[in-house]
Amino acid sequence: MSDFSRIMLFAKRLMQERLFSTRMYIMLPILLLFIPGMAWGFSDPNIILPGGHQPDTAMEVLFYASLGVVFGATMCAVLLSYDSVSRERASGVLELRLAQPMPRSHQAIAMILGSWRAILIPTWILLVLSVLIVRYRIGEWLSIIDCLVYFSSTALILLWYVLFTLLASSYTREQGTAISFGIGLWFLFTFLWALVTTMVAYASGVSIGQENDAAWIMLEGGLDLLSPNGVYHHLLETRLPQIDRGVAVWQSWAMALAWTILPSWLFVRRMEKILP
Amino acid sequence: MEEVVLQLKDATYRHSVYAPLPFKPWRRIRGQGIFSANLSLHKGTILGLVGPNGAGKTTLLRMMAGILPLQAGSVHDADEHSGTVISDERLRHMVGHMPEQVRWQGRNTVRNALLGIGEMRQVSESRIDGLLKLVGLQSRIDSPLNELSQGMRQRLTLAAALLGSPKILLLDEPLNGLDPVAAAAFIVLLGKLTEKGVSIVLSSHQVEGLVEIIDRLALMHRGQILAEGTMLEVAKHLNLDKKTEITGEGDAPDFSKYTVEYKSIEIEQYSNNWKAVLPNSGPGLLKKLVNDEFEIISWKDRQPNVIEMLCAATGQSVEDVGLEVSSTAVLPLRTFRGEEE
Repeated sequence: MSDFSRIMLFAKRLMQERLFSTRMYIMLPILLLFIPGMAWGFSDPNIILPGGHQPDTAMEVLFYASLGVVFGATMCAVLLSYDSVSRERASGVLELRLAQPMPRSHQAIAMILGSWRAILIPTWILLVLSVLIVRYRIGEWLSIIDCLVYFSSTALILLWYVLFTLLASSYTREQGTAISFGIGLWFLFTFLWALVTTMVAYASGVSIGQENDAAWIMLEGGLDLLSPNGVYHHLLETRLPQIDRGVAVWQSWAMALAWTILPSWLFVRRMEKILP
Repeated sequence: MEEVVLQLKDATYRHSVYAPLPFKPWRRIRGQGIFSANLSLHKGTILGLVGPNGAGKTTLLRMMAGILPLQAGSVHDADEHSGTVISDERLRHMVGHMPEQVRWQGRNTVRNALLGIGEMRQVSESRIDGLLKLVGLQSRIDSPLNELSQGMRQRLTLAAALLGSPKILLLDEPLNGLDPVAAAAFIVLLGKLTEKGVSIVLSSHQVEGLVEIIDRLALMHRGQILAEGTMLEVAKHLNLDKKTEITGEGDAPDFSKYTVEYKSIEIEQYSNNWKAVLPNSGPGLLKKLVNDEFEIISWKDRQPNVIEMLCAATGQSVEDVGLEVSSTAVLPLRTFRGEEE
């Protein structure tokens, strides 16, 4: 068996443990409500958003519905993976795994893939459902490229949250600390980032919250590159030509790469040195 | 002497501990651990690791399992001169490790849990089923881990350690949680494994039962191996000769009047009888005691036991130590160069 097959087999086992866990059954209704539910709501032909805007293309509807991913799926990613390392460590199973000949870096990659796929599979299924809902409600299919960008961006944001949580889980000996770190980070990027943006804008002398102020839009766009949620929206905005926040397409994808590589590398490195 | 399968040479690992300073809250220093351990594992033998709490038994086992990387020294796969240095990954291929207490939990079944570990060693499913049968879990194969008792969890951990048919088996407190019958069956299993040439290192607090199983003994204290060898070799190394245990009726005799050597004897006086343990009996002592009209009930030679060896090696007595975890004052911490800290 090749190293790749072994990693995939181990990842599959970890994925199955989480995919069919009790907490997944608890979170599924939340995901259902947030992802297809939002797609249903935003695809209402009579919807008028604050500011009088009305989404009129399938991609635009799904862009707004991506809030369901940001609020629901990322939270589920945190809740599914927070004990991936800390629980195994506390129970002694990690020691048993570390004593096996499979290299630790391979074990770490399998952990990432296993935890990521456990949340990715239900989310993608619900995204497909959302695309069908949008087609049903507004009579327009998402283009292939829009689909690729939408699904891959969603996969990436879930991966980032899984990576943050795995890192926290590997550093903490208590599961409570691991979940606090994961939820704290989720809270920061989901709710508090607007506050960070406002503070930076205030300190930079930019008028805050002026929708038509180019300086505010640029600043907000730039700062969003430092947040996984912001990068996710930047990636989606690459398929919405009417939105321009001063960030080039390559910048969005470069930051997506950075958000992927840096925490992955940190986690693999951490697992190579972890003590039971 | 049996073939050496693994040798530790000056193996050192010191745990990193927080030692914060006002302006360096993240500061860590090297603390306790294992200091320059030299140890040889012989093919088909059982080595017992004995030491008080905090002696470093678990750390040493983790080093031998390739879990903790050596900070100094090396691990060789045969004797020191011809053997090659083994990498951690190769060591993990050779070694099966049974940690002290694995709390298997979750809705996963026994078989799936073992399959998960087995895939990391590329072990076939039939081998896994065979191992579950060997450890007596064949009837629990589809039980969720949450439903296992402590003894069953211990058996499952043993099965995990036996995956991949290791040449060396490291067992940390393997008898914990096992009922007496299972413990006896476990000991029989260890015997079968050694017959097949598996070398076993066994750490246990149940020292008295341990003597029956082990071929060699290593005494540990404060991260150092103080003595290693067969029971007789260790006793000789510690200058512990066999003792004479005498019991009698009435009041115990005053042994000091027979010879000066008997001043260090241990006497226990009960209401109607007494027991004395003498370093050695000396010529004619029994005759002298009988002549002085002492009623002797029994007279037997006794080999020094593991606790006596441990006390002799560490310079402590049972009364001194009590339940207290060994203090750092007993043995100094040493640096890699052997300097005291």
